[in-house]
Amino acid sequence: MADFEPRIVGFLCNWCTYAGADLAGTSRMQYPPNMRSIRVMCSGAVDSVYVLRALLEGADAVFIGGCHPGDCHYVSGNYKARRRMVLLNAIMKSVGLDDDRVWLRWISAAEGRKFADTVTELTASIKARGPSRFRELWEV
Amino acid sequence: MKGILKVTGRNPEQALRDLFAGWLRADRLSALLVPAWSKSGAATLALIADPEKMAETSPLLPAMAVNAASVVHQLARSGAIGQRVGLLLRPCELRGVVELIKLRQVLPDNLVMIGIDCAGTYKAAGFRGIRKDAADFANKHVRNQTALTGNSNFRLACQVCEYPRPLVFDLALGWLGLNPDKELWLEAATDKVKALLDGVKLVEGEEPKPRLKALAAFAEQRQQAAAGRIAELDKVMMGADNLVRYFADCLNCHNCMRVCPVCYCHECFFDSATFERDIAEQVRIAQRKGLTRMPSETLLFHLTRMNHMMTSCVQCGICEDSCPAGVGLTILFKKVARNAQAEFDYVAGRSLDEPLPLTTFREDEFQTIGEG
Repeated sequence: MADFEPRIVGFLCNWCTYAGADLAGTSRMQYPPNMRSIRVMCSGAVDSVYVLRALLEGADAVFIGGCHPGDCHYVSGNYKARRRMVLLNAIMKSVGLDDDRVWLRWISAAEGRKFADTVTELTASIKARGPSRFRELWEV
Repeated sequence: MKGILKVTGRNPEQALRDLFAGWLRADRLSALLVPAWSKSGAATLALIADPEKMAETSPLLPAMAVNAASVVHQLARSGAIGQRVGLLLRPCELRGVVELIKLRQVLPDNLVMIGIDCAGTYKAAGFRGIRKDAADFANKHVRNQTALTGNSNFRLACQVCEYPRPLVFDLALGWLGLNPDKELWLEAATDKVKALLDGVKLVEGEEPKPRLKALAAFAEQRQQAAAGRIAELDKVMMGADNLVRYFADCLNCHNCMRVCPVCYCHECFFDSATFERDIAEQVRIAQRKGLTRMPSETLLFHLTRMNHMMTSCVQCGICEDSCPAGVGLTILFKKVARNAQAEFDYVAGRSLDEPLPLTTFREDEFQTIGEG
């Protein structure tokens, strides 16, 4: 499994986590290149269907980054994202899917370091877990 | 107002028909939705406006063709302005209507929700032949109560249903734990039904103890049955490989969504342009994987439907009845709905006041989520 490079799909909120990722980049912080970032306007705008589609199509993990609770640009989008994550976790657990492959984290525009560390941690965690089984199952 | 409604002539169905016909005759209701036998012999639903036609109805009919909440959705999308319409609903149908009200899909203002006990239903599709003996079929069903909890001919959802009585209602009617040849339970919960009960002879009082005991035993037995079925399901459904196999026969027809009482969108997200892939994209996916299943994204449809609807699922099982491929949705949805609703301390259809879990939040909840 040494040559396994996880493919991670990241949904980053425009106002906080995306700016945090930008800061990590402009500050030349090093972190694994395993995440494909998608900028969204709010973590609350990420419907579970996009998370599930990524996983079923063979992504090894999905990351959602939003503003810290209380700091949402749209006041309450991240609180709604949090509830949706609770629901998604419950459903994934109920059908025996690995909900540790979906991470929600609050990372502000000032937290470039936290962004780089989180992606490093997520990549290491998925490397330890191995590839998603859905990569092998073409008939999903 | 609550108490015992006396039944004469060993005919509880007739007692209910008389009660309902009186409301239509006195113009207290413009129409009433009731289970009925059609002339062709089908067990179905009828919207009755003429009290003389009440003879064709079967208020205690233990057969379910559709979840009546879907019919109510069709009826009351834009409100029944100026017309008061009564709905005789089983507990699961009532819970569906409650969810639709909270989803702003049904305007309840002129609807009178009349709930009635249900011990289980048969698939309506297998019911045609029974018409000839219909006169007393439902009465016999409510009379012989010892055989009801473990009846393996009921629809699977009914065999594991722990809600034999209505939870939210304007008026509730009950027969479980009573001798329905002599008496029925009647309970008014809102002012809407005051006029309906004008002149109705009722022996007022608290709910009889034997009835409460019977209902509790019923729920317990059904919960055990559900636990057993869920344990069986887990053996064949859990995990990526099993899950793919479990849904392998899905045709992608989306019947389960169309008959679902709480799947309310006029256009399903899965019928939208988001899921229209052009051939180049489809081929690109095949190239990436080497091969790809067509029709594609059937499992995605089911998992997403769970994410969109699970907090409102009333576990009526009509999805499984409608599945041409025989995918076992009933117990799966029961399990997932329970787990999902438990996270938010929510039960679909339990209350009109509890907000839908995904329409609300608290700042001080789920604080470990997002913190790593």
